[in-house]
Amino acid sequence: MGEFPLPRIKDFLKTVVPFDALEDEELERVVGLMELAYFPRGQVIIQAGESPSKNLYVIMNGSVRVTLPRETGEELLVDVRGEGDTFGSLSLLQGELALFTVQAQEDLLSFMLPDAPFRELVEGNPVFRRHFSFGLSRNIEAVRRAADRHTMQMTGTESLGLDAALTGSRVSELMSKEVLTCLPATPVKAAARLMTQRRVGSIIITEPGGAPLGILTDTDLRVRVLAAGASAETSVAEVMSPFVKTIAPNAFAFEAMIEMARHGVHHLAVVDGPRLVGVISDHDLTMVTGSSPVGVMKEVSKVSKLEDLAAMPRRMKRVMETLLRLGGSAEYMQDVLGEFNDRLILRLLKITQRTMEHQGKGRAPVQFSWLALGGAGRREQALTMSQDYAVVYANVPPEREAAVRSWFLEFTTGISQGLEACGFFCRPGAVMTDPHACCRSESQWEEAFMAWVSSAEPEALTQVMGYFDLRAVYAETAFVETLWEKLFAAFDQHRGFLGRLGLAASQLRPPVGFLREFVVDTEGQYSDELNLDEAALDPVVQAARIMALDQRLRQTNTLERLGAVTRLGLLKEDFSEDLREAYGFVTLLRIARILENNNGHRPSALLDPASLNRVQRKMLKESFSVISRLQDFALQRYSGESGA
Amino acid sequence: MNLWQARLVNQAIRLRLARRKLAPEARGNLMALEGKDGKAPAMDQRYVVVDLETTGLDHTKDRVVSVGAFRVVGGRIRLGEVFSELANPGRGIPVESIKVHGITPDNIRNARPAWEVFREFLLYLGGDIVVAHHARFDLFFLNRVMRAQYGMRMQNLVVDTVLMCRAIHIEPDPYGQKKGAKRCSLDVLAARYGLEVPERHTALGDALATAMILQRLLPDMAAGGWKTLADLISVAGVL
Repeated sequence: MGEFPLPRIKDFLKTVVPFDALEDEELERVVGLMELAYFPRGQVIIQAGESPSKNLYVIMNGSVRVTLPRETGEELLVDVRGEGDTFGSLSLLQGELALFTVQAQEDLLSFMLPDAPFRELVEGNPVFRRHFSFGLSRNIEAVRRAADRHTMQMTGTESLGLDAALTGSRVSELMSKEVLTCLPATPVKAAARLMTQRRVGSIIITEPGGAPLGILTDTDLRVRVLAAGASAETSVAEVMSPFVKTIAPNAFAFEAMIEMARHGVHHLAVVDGPRLVGVISDHDLTMVTGSSPVGVMKEVSKVSKLEDLAAMPRRMKRVMETLLRLGGSAEYMQDVLGEFNDRLILRLLKITQRTMEHQGKGRAPVQFSWLALGGAGRREQALTMSQDYAVVYANVPPEREAAVRSWFLEFTTGISQGLEACGFFCRPGAVMTDPHACCRSESQWEEAFMAWVSSAEPEALTQVMGYFDLRAVYAETAFVETLWEKLFAAFDQHRGFLGRLGLAASQLRPPVGFLREFVVDTEGQYSDELNLDEAALDPVVQAARIMALDQRLRQTNTLERLGAVTRLGLLKEDFSEDLREAYGFVTLLRIARILENNNGHRPSALLDPASLNRVQRKMLKESFSVISRLQDFALQRYSGESGA
Repeated sequence: MNLWQARLVNQAIRLRLARRKLAPEARGNLMALEGKDGKAPAMDQRYVVVDLETTGLDHTKDRVVSVGAFRVVGGRIRLGEVFSELANPGRGIPVESIKVHGITPDNIRNARPAWEVFREFLLYLGGDIVVAHHARFDLFFLNRVMRAQYGMRMQNLVVDTVLMCRAIHIEPDPYGQKKGAKRCSLDVLAARYGLEVPERHTALGDALATAMILQRLLPDMAAGGWKTLADLISVAGVL
């Protein structure tokens, strides 16, 4: 026949990952093995719990809803897939009953590649293998998003992947099989003795027939018995945590993880029919996935050597990956990271002081506070870790100034090196790029701040806006509190400051949307990369900052600032909620992207718009529009004041 | 028309040709109705959706220049079972038709003659139900080659997507005013179903469009009460 008869179909598949990786001839062969099917809207294509999919589906047109049926009868929306997306690979490759229900959301045209040739491709082609094993983690990622409280949050963590252990493992492989059990009427004292003898941290309470009722852990004993002052004769039934969920031994480990995250429990009873066969805990899961936030946090506070400290951020990244999968909200993840960074700084201050002492340079000559500014001050650094810190030392008489200053200069240099070792970089514009600028006495800092408030032009203010997010990580002095009071007084005096700040803040505008693989900015310019910081987060940060300063609030965290100004009536409740969601969505996307991009030195929040799926684009576009509205509001309110 | 009539005609032809020596493809075609069950769901049938490009619209003198077809089984288009051949009409191609289908005399210089292409097509077709848009047009050309070559009409059941469309989407037209005729054109239907039709006005492209429309019409017909093969033939069958 000569020419391939279906060039347009071939062209279409060339745009579909991973089919784009096939050579022309191979792709033509694969097209010949496919069928094109039509499913009217509403038709169920794959039914959860039924036999595995017999085909890989590639959507040509239309969209499907992927849902997870719940015992309660309702459905949990897991994902929406559209043109160029695939589905059906999970149950096909696992050969297990389908986990998700797939239903046509619009009239759907889909290519179908049968079981056998699809398997051949996956086995024979590394690109296919990689893509479809990540497909599994994508599904889990989707569940995580769906489990989030309000909206689906699409974070696009495709290449984040999931530990092989977790994707392949089943509950039966990870659970504890040696389970200590007792009856509901057992007194707490007896149960505690049993646990001590067997050296286990928990005991399962079962019915006489063996069906599991609940679990009693060390923590329960401490919290519900000892701390609550309950009698040692109390029956275990009264203080146990009842099992809200059980899970089958052949369930995937990630399903256990999802259930725990969703129900906020740490243990699940593993049952085979009515019979208890084991217990699986979040600890069992974190053993295979990496680490828990609490563990890493505790450890960082115990570290005494710089080398050990420098190893911590890498572990924190693993924690973040796990959190991302488990459905941590942006707020929670930033809290965890903020707390982690603070603890790391505190350790570093200790370690550096001790080193200087050992070197015979003595202790700090005067009291000082260690300041966090910019993203660090707002506790929003996430994983970008820029050296946005500064030191402020108590005022000293002029004759001592030189000596004191030289000690603190050395101190900050030492810390800067330590931060560098821990992966905090002195990127351009970071506060600590210039050790002289970040090492000042109280009156010097005060002078600098007052100069910015009284007369800095918007241009200059763009460079120092982040200083108004200051916060003391370590405080021997009350400098920060006093400074805020003086600043607020100065705002009253220099009414134009907020206006100038407003002008400085208006330089960044979120893009208006996407066109194919490009992002389109307000001027209609196309770009093939999207900087999430500049495009979406900074505008919110800046607007929140102006409003908070205007209301004389000392909060520095953006979400806290927004919350506070909303309570003061500056923003409408529902708009504030939209903002919170938009900000949370972009933040999650950013964290995911940084985790992905982070191969080496410069974690970046740059995003290739082509890597976003339709739903992500839609969510981003909506986020941009909410953020633009906030910006308009802030601009309108504050830029007018500049003349006053 | 109904399945019973088709069977009767088929029986008569078989009797008439019983003694004649027939080419295997023609012998096979006589069996086209074997195993067809009028009560079976129309959706589950095997169809071959065909489109012909010709040198013009005058069936007294125009000839086939290209045949394109897709097989649809159980409502799914089999992308690996495609029929796509140019045929040498043995005469010039009018400029007007070149404008439509884009096939130039150069393209068909090395093509096989229509009867050879058609023999190939019969083997591809087997006993499947033939589907075409305005099927009478395509059927006329197919039958002309068929008669000249084998002395019989094509025995396959033939279904017209225009008739299916009329049954579903157009109110009854007892006075033959054909008010809704345009509403069942290939382009209107493709637009109605939101289909982006690749390579429209090539035989294969139009066959694919028709196949995709068939995919939509079959469930629509079932929803309208025409569920079985017999129902389908009674509404949209063409003799």
